[in-house]
Amino acid sequence: MGLFSSSAPSLPPPKISSDGAPIAPDRTQRAKCWEGRDGYFECLNKNKIIDSIGQKDKAEKECASEGKAFEANCASSWVTYFKKRRVMEYQKFQTMEKLRAEGAQEMPGEVGPGGPGQKP
Amino acid sequence: MSKSFIPSRSLLSSFSRSLKLNHDKPTQQCLRFRSSINASCLHAPKSKSFSTTSVRSYKTVEEQRSRYKSGPFSARAGLLFLTSGAGLIFYFRYEKARMERLRIAEATKGVGRPKVGGPFDLVDQNGRRFTDEDMKGRYTLVYFGFSHCPDICPEELDKMAVMIDLVNGEGRTEDAEKEREGDGKKGEKKGLLPLFITCDPARDTPAVLKEYLKEFHSGIVGLTGTWEQVKDVCKKYRVYFSTPEGVKKGEDYLVDHSIYFYLMDPEGDFVEAIGRQHSPQQAAKIISEHVGDWRGK
Repeated sequence: MGLFSSSAPSLPPPKISSDGAPIAPDRTQRAKCWEGRDGYFECLNKNKIIDSIGQKDKAEKECASEGKAFEANCASSWVTYFKKRRVMEYQKFQTMEKLRAEGAQEMPGEVGPGGPGQKP
Repeated sequence: MSKSFIPSRSLLSSFSRSLKLNHDKPTQQCLRFRSSINASCLHAPKSKSFSTTSVRSYKTVEEQRSRYKSGPFSARAGLLFLTSGAGLIFYFRYEKARMERLRIAEATKGVGRPKVGGPFDLVDQNGRRFTDEDMKGRYTLVYFGFSHCPDICPEELDKMAVMIDLVNGEGRTEDAEKEREGDGKKGEKKGLLPLFITCDPARDTPAVLKEYLKEFHSGIVGLTGTWEQVKDVCKKYRVYFSTPEGVKKGEDYLVDHSIYFYLMDPEGDFVEAIGRQHSPQQAAKIISEHVGDWRGK
């Protein structure tokens, strides 16, 4: 979906700061983007889609309007990032479940997404 | 000396010589005179040797007796022993907790370990030059991120704002900014200085950082610079730096980076890393304890 950015609605151009660089999304813009993301992911959950990039056609068919709202409020790099992160979070969850089933003991503290070198 | 004794000439000269020698060989001399001078000579050197060897002298017999009965211990000594013992226990308990924190701080400072931090030369959100010298004199909390960060940086910066207020007390960090503007002396700087260093210098200009950071906490100092300067500071803080060089204006991309808070001491040395697993309250506690330990070196 992100590839058809010409047809899909996209974020309004960012404000330009006094020294000519685009200003990053502020708190309300971020909240809007996260809202759009949550709506889209909810639709994916309903349709049992984990990887919306891998299953692009199915996701586009089932969650077209949610996807549009998502992309309208987020920069395309953010859209891709959230989609990838969703897959990663799912894999992490699966791994944790598997380990728990094997009787592994959980260590205090967060690993994985909290570790160093992690994409923000 | 008795009058009846008339010494010969040679004896007299040897005697005077021995007097000049000042009792260097008293026994020898006594032996020589034993027959004629008798007892007086025998006693003189003996009593002298006693006076030098006797160590213990008691003023009274009673004193000597009491010392003999109680031995080297007395009620006063016992009391002193107990109070100093109790004092030491309290002191050691306090010191143990402090040393544990110190150990963490020192372990990261130690020789042979990879050093985190170091000199840098950047620009703050008001366009003023900011170097590692400006962070010295108080504890700093350093965070690396970038303003176009989708979710983790904003979360962490909100956490940072809570930490700052918990450590410094609300409203105190604003003074840090004023101090920098004014002629605040280095020694007067107190409290925690929060630093945000961008990993994305191409998009994060001082003006962008100013807009971005004021939403989180007015006390956070945002730093940016040229691509080389930022790459250098990231390397010194062991931050994974993936920002491409020479990106075009308006290009949309993300940056990979580490997401630790670095606590640096007033000398600019790394103390401890605070990760995502710490709540702002826990982090503030860790920071406050380290700050409390600092006595200046």
